[in-house]
Amino acid sequence: MHNSDHALPVRGNPDADAVILGAAGDRADGTISKRAHYAPPWADVSIIGIAGSSGSGKSTLSQAIVSKLNLPWVVILSIDSFYKSLDPESSRKAFRNEYDFDAPDAIDFDVLVERLRDLKAGKRAEIPVYSFEKHARLDKTTAIYSPHVLILEGIFALYDPRVLELMDMKIFCEADADTCLSRRILRDVRDRGRDIEGIIKQWFGFVKPNFEKFVDPQRKVADIIVPRGVENHVAITMMTQFIEQKLLEKSKHHRAALTRLEIEAQSQPLSKRVTVMEQTSQLRGMSTIIRDIDSSGEDFIFYFDRFAALLVEQALNNVSFESITINTPPGHKYSGLCARGEVSAVILLRGGAALETGLRRVIDDCKTGRILIQSNVRTGEPELHYLVLPSDIHEHEAVLLLDAQMSSGGSALMAVQVLVDHGVKMDRIVLATYSAGRIGLHRLTTVFPDIAVVVGNLVKDVEERWVEKRYFRC
Amino acid sequence: MSPSLENVKVAPVGPDYRSESTKPTATISTPVPFDTVTILPQTPQLIALLSTIRDKNTDRGDFIFYSNRIIRLLVEEGLNHLPTVEHTVTTPVGRTYDGLSFQGKICGVSIMRAGEAMEQGLRDCCRSVRIGKILIQRDEETAQPKLFYDKLPEDIADRWVLLLDPMFATGGSAIMAVEVLKSRGVAEDRILFINLIASPEGIKNFATKFPKLRVVTAFVDQGLDEKNYICPGLGDFGDRYYTR
Repeated sequence: MHNSDHALPVRGNPDADAVILGAAGDRADGTISKRAHYAPPWADVSIIGIAGSSGSGKSTLSQAIVSKLNLPWVVILSIDSFYKSLDPESSRKAFRNEYDFDAPDAIDFDVLVERLRDLKAGKRAEIPVYSFEKHARLDKTTAIYSPHVLILEGIFALYDPRVLELMDMKIFCEADADTCLSRRILRDVRDRGRDIEGIIKQWFGFVKPNFEKFVDPQRKVADIIVPRGVENHVAITMMTQFIEQKLLEKSKHHRAALTRLEIEAQSQPLSKRVTVMEQTSQLRGMSTIIRDIDSSGEDFIFYFDRFAALLVEQALNNVSFESITINTPPGHKYSGLCARGEVSAVILLRGGAALETGLRRVIDDCKTGRILIQSNVRTGEPELHYLVLPSDIHEHEAVLLLDAQMSSGGSALMAVQVLVDHGVKMDRIVLATYSAGRIGLHRLTTVFPDIAVVVGNLVKDVEERWVEKRYFRC
Repeated sequence: MSPSLENVKVAPVGPDYRSESTKPTATISTPVPFDTVTILPQTPQLIALLSTIRDKNTDRGDFIFYSNRIIRLLVEEGLNHLPTVEHTVTTPVGRTYDGLSFQGKICGVSIMRAGEAMEQGLRDCCRSVRIGKILIQRDEETAQPKLFYDKLPEDIADRWVLLLDPMFATGGSAIMAVEVLKSRGVAEDRILFINLIASPEGIKNFATKFPKLRVVTAFVDQGLDEKNYICPGLGDFGDRYYTR
């Protein structure tokens, strides 16, 4: 069964690889006692295990569930990614079809357990990439981050007791042995260029004995045994309903956590790390044109860009500098400052993109990541849809997080959590926003007390997002 | 000979929430005792920008980019001195905002050629602004500045004038430019002289001669050296921006 159906994690969303990122770094740990806790909806991922014989239709079933749910937060992880790298001796055997890939020993359960625990804790997990051509793990890894539900699929998905402990639902796919063998022959001949003799040799030599010895006993720990795989509509509906229920619970918890933070935040003064820009006459004059519903689109964009450049200039005062001495052309020395390292930006879409022209006026070649968080129209819950960050973001001296408006602070909170999860230290994050309400600011700085925030205008607490509509004119 | 070191003010620079000991130190602007002079806040970012353009190893591309950033900050600050009236508007979410509306017509006047390098920054803040030009050069015989050329908006007497010249050393040409503007009917208190780096001597000359004229600068340096260059300065701005 070393011919993987899919070795890479697959998302239900067509933008799958957009969610998968580069190298991870150190995690910033929040050790400040008064810090409030925020649990993003991916913090306690629900894990569903699907085991069964080779050819029993596990992966078809998983894919059917994912496509039925059609949500970007459900991810399939194949246990095939966790095949051990082979030593030279085993490798030679493997190339002669004599290595037993269908025994639990072939799987690196230690790494699997570690990665699943990371995901359960809301962290990013680097998933190994196994090459079936080389019978070895490749140097690269694929990252999984922020799924709300994860389907672990593979012949030994229900094998290791440590994995079972992390699971919310255990499924065993059952199929008639004749069906399994015929599916395997068809697939291996058609897709993998094997000859029938070799397939049969492997089947009776390894697959069948291992099935009886290791795979089949897993049915004892399963919650549900599903016969006929993908044709079993009742079972698929049951499983999707179970997952939908889980997602609903997570959403409820998340929203409750946000409300709790809001209540906690109200009683406190604004953090010292929040800077509201000085309301000079130019700034107020610009804001008057920006906010006037009767301003032309042309004026709006011109003044918003001008404002944005000032906002970014102000935000940069929060990055770390060091003293330097330079020589001027007339030959005098000057003791000045320079930034300690690279400053990058992360645009919180769509609103933050309105600040991008201003950003480029200040740092023309700024590395820029993008995060799309949208509020669910029904519940108002912020949802993470899309994420691309510079792979070395954890090494940057400062990361400017840009958004046009922040009212409740829900999406800003989630975005900062994403940065922290990608190894950016809290005190290196500077959030810059055209306008913000007090509750949002409180909520954000209670959870992340070390981030700096620069605000163009303080506004009443709840304000519908209008800047992006005016800026992009739709 | 360098100017006296008494004028050198070294201080920790950074946001208020950081403790003094964690802030890096740098030379900041020399304070001056005139109400009409506005020095930009000595933020770490501004000091870093100035360090870049002062550095003789900075290439022309960076010199232009970072100068423009400082110039925009200067123009933004300069514009704060213009009159406004209260103006209430309705916002897209149906709230009212008690804002301000800009009053008075403005124009830029650049002293050629270095002042022209500041026009882009002015245009970034004020679209389609009228810009006049004045060419003043040193007369070979008298060693005094001499007016060679000027082209100014006809209605300049009705406008606020942002006079642009990046380096404010002795202020010889700027004084002559102000005389030209006054002779065209511009009121002294409607002239804002915008420059990047000034000398204490130039500022004092100006404040004595034109007590109502406002000066906006990013930094007042220690003083002038024996060649009347600003010290530590940044060299010839026009050369670095246009040709070097």
